[in-house]
Amino acid sequence: MIPIEFFLAFAAILFAIGAYGVVTKSNTIVVLMCIELMLNAANINFVTFAAFTGDVLGQVFVIMTISVAAAEVAVGIAILLNAYKIRKTIESDSLTSMRW
Amino acid sequence: MFIEYTWLVPLIPVLCFVLVGFFGNKMHQGGGYLAIAGAAFACVMSVLISVEFFTSTAYADPGYVTESMKWFELPGGFVLNVGYYIDTLACLMMMFASFISTLIFVYSLGYMHDQGVKKRRYFAEVSLFLTGMLGLAVSSSFLTMFIFWEIMGLCSYLLIGFWGFNHPEGDDKADNAASAAKKAFLVTRLGDVSLMAGLFVMLYAFQSLDYVTIFDASAIAAVDPNMIILASLLIFGGAIGKSAQFPLLDWLPDAMAGPTTVSALIHAATMVKAGVYLVARCYPLFCQCSSVMLFVAVIGGVTAFFAATMAMNNMNIKKVLAYSTLSQLGYMFLALGTGGYLIAIGLETGNTALIVAGSAAYTAGCLHMVNHAFFKALLFLCSGSVIHSTGTEDMREMGGLGKKMKVTSITMLIGSLSIAGFPFFAGFWSKDLILESVMHAADFGSSGFVLMILWVLGIVTAFMTAFYMFRMWYMTFAGTEGHATAHCHGESPKSMTAPLMILSVFAFAFGFVILFGFDGLLSVEVVGGQFRVGGGHVEGFEWAVEIFTNVWTYVTIVLVLVAIGIAKLMYDKKTINPGKFNKNGTSWLYNALTKRWWFPDLYNQISWKLGYGVARGVDFVDRNIIDGTVNGLSNAVVGGGDVLSKAQTGNVRNYATIVLLGIVALFAVILALFYFMGGA
Repeated sequence: MIPIEFFLAFAAILFAIGAYGVVTKSNTIVVLMCIELMLNAANINFVTFAAFTGDVLGQVFVIMTISVAAAEVAVGIAILLNAYKIRKTIESDSLTSMRW
Repeated sequence: MFIEYTWLVPLIPVLCFVLVGFFGNKMHQGGGYLAIAGAAFACVMSVLISVEFFTSTAYADPGYVTESMKWFELPGGFVLNVGYYIDTLACLMMMFASFISTLIFVYSLGYMHDQGVKKRRYFAEVSLFLTGMLGLAVSSSFLTMFIFWEIMGLCSYLLIGFWGFNHPEGDDKADNAASAAKKAFLVTRLGDVSLMAGLFVMLYAFQSLDYVTIFDASAIAAVDPNMIILASLLIFGGAIGKSAQFPLLDWLPDAMAGPTTVSALIHAATMVKAGVYLVARCYPLFCQCSSVMLFVAVIGGVTAFFAATMAMNNMNIKKVLAYSTLSQLGYMFLALGTGGYLIAIGLETGNTALIVAGSAAYTAGCLHMVNHAFFKALLFLCSGSVIHSTGTEDMREMGGLGKKMKVTSITMLIGSLSIAGFPFFAGFWSKDLILESVMHAADFGSSGFVLMILWVLGIVTAFMTAFYMFRMWYMTFAGTEGHATAHCHGESPKSMTAPLMILSVFAFAFGFVILFGFDGLLSVEVVGGQFRVGGGHVEGFEWAVEIFTNVWTYVTIVLVLVAIGIAKLMYDKKTINPGKFNKNGTSWLYNALTKRWWFPDLYNQISWKLGYGVARGVDFVDRNIIDGTVNGLSNAVVGGGDVLSKAQTGNVRNYATIVLLGIVALFAVILALFYFMGGA
């Protein structure tokens, strides 16, 4: 049996990649994708613990998260589409008008 | 019978003030007749009250009658009452104030006839002025007394500045009416602050401000003597301001910028008499310490002398009279101070003879107060008549008016003889009694030599008084005709000359009251430590005997006659040229006198150096410390917000970075905590 540490390490690496992408990438689509990565890292943790403890609740929670993430992506893409219509760009460095 | 209605005495004039003030323009003479009626009513009422008080035996003990009701109460159990307090001193003040005011108001009808709509203001304000004086005289407590005292201060300001608008330039710029009014108000304010402090001290010491409580011998004995000395000095500070004594004497000559009738009112019937009244009223307090009374006497004597010197070379007919008022007020304080000095020593040593002698000095002071009211009202009204007729106040432009204004010249001669102390005129009795008392007092106490000096000053002042009064009279009514005389309007109307004639009778004859049994009304008695105004009557012609057996009286008379003679030679016959004595107006002394011994300059220096310095310091604190704190706080908040707002870049990635770093930091902290606390 594969030990639990492998799953957890995998999830941690996935989360770190996502976080790195959110912080560094300027393309907002990529940022959105990176956020999905981070979500899925969390999902893996849920599934792992569910499998190892024999509690099915974790798997139920993952189904829930995936559906919320789908809705979130729909909202995110819609915002980006509108931003693109107005500013002709989706670079996050250019979308800085919400400030002082 | 009438005493219960004493409150009407100040009330009727104040009603006149309200009526004239609102509806004067719809009345004849701007409400002048109503003002006269009010004053006349007050006069009749005070005479009735006084007659009742003097004749009824019911009031002989304790020598006063008072009634008051509670006005309000302060936390700490201080009950403040309002009511009346009648004794012979109050009667005296009421009678002469209302009587002289009535005459002055009548005279005003003529004097102010060309003032048009401003007459309404004039008659309203003089009515209020009279209210102030009458209320002050009948008040039963220091608090109500102080209120009326302040009403007079306000009225003096309003009336001195009566011509503040259409006479922007007086003799010189600082002389104009508005400045004079401001000066009078501010300088007397100094004294008023002192008086108010005195009231606080008394309220603290006696738990009350009622005359009855404070003047009670046992109450005085129970209070710390130092508190009484402090209260006395502070109260006397108020009297110095109001009665224009040294060193607050300079406002009174400037107050001549007002109408002459107002000067007469201020100098004779109201205002400056209030200070003398206050000292006479507070005798039970003041007499607790001989040094306080000596101080009063010194202030009085010094003022009498200095004011008289300044009158010697003044060319303005009203200013000469103003200085003479100062000088005569000085005499009154000298008399009261001397009397109190003797009584204080008498109380300390148990020597009743001294108390009787002190009472005589008190009588002299009060008599001089009344005499002065009559002759100074007369003199001012005469000078007003002259000014009205010639249109100038400069005596050099007058001269030879005697032929054109017979009544004025004769009545003014009577007034001058009275103030100069010519034998048998009113001023003679009181002035010589004062001088005699001062000399008598010089033999007693460790500070007697001071009184000796004051006596010398008093004698010299008597000489100077006679000289400057007759200088004024000769310059105005005798000698060659000045160019103002050439086109004067002749004698003034009847409404002006009638009051002159009535007053001249009193100015001549009032001194005789002490000979015919009325001296008891002016005196003070001490019965077992309890002061009592009135009583202490000396039988027969004792006073006349006293005066005429004193060799110094004859010296004074000779000095007065010599002074009158010199004045005649200088200003009537012109055989002596006065310019010889002052290098034609260039000598140092002459200069000092025209500059009023540099008193105005001293005031200016003090107010500029001290007042302006303090004001600048206060301004600095206000601008930099108080405003600085407020502004600094707001600037710090605004600036801080400005700086911190720069953190909002609007770039999503920056926010994400900060959130991430925050989570990492939080995580690190939690780990560290677990590690160091040894948690699971």
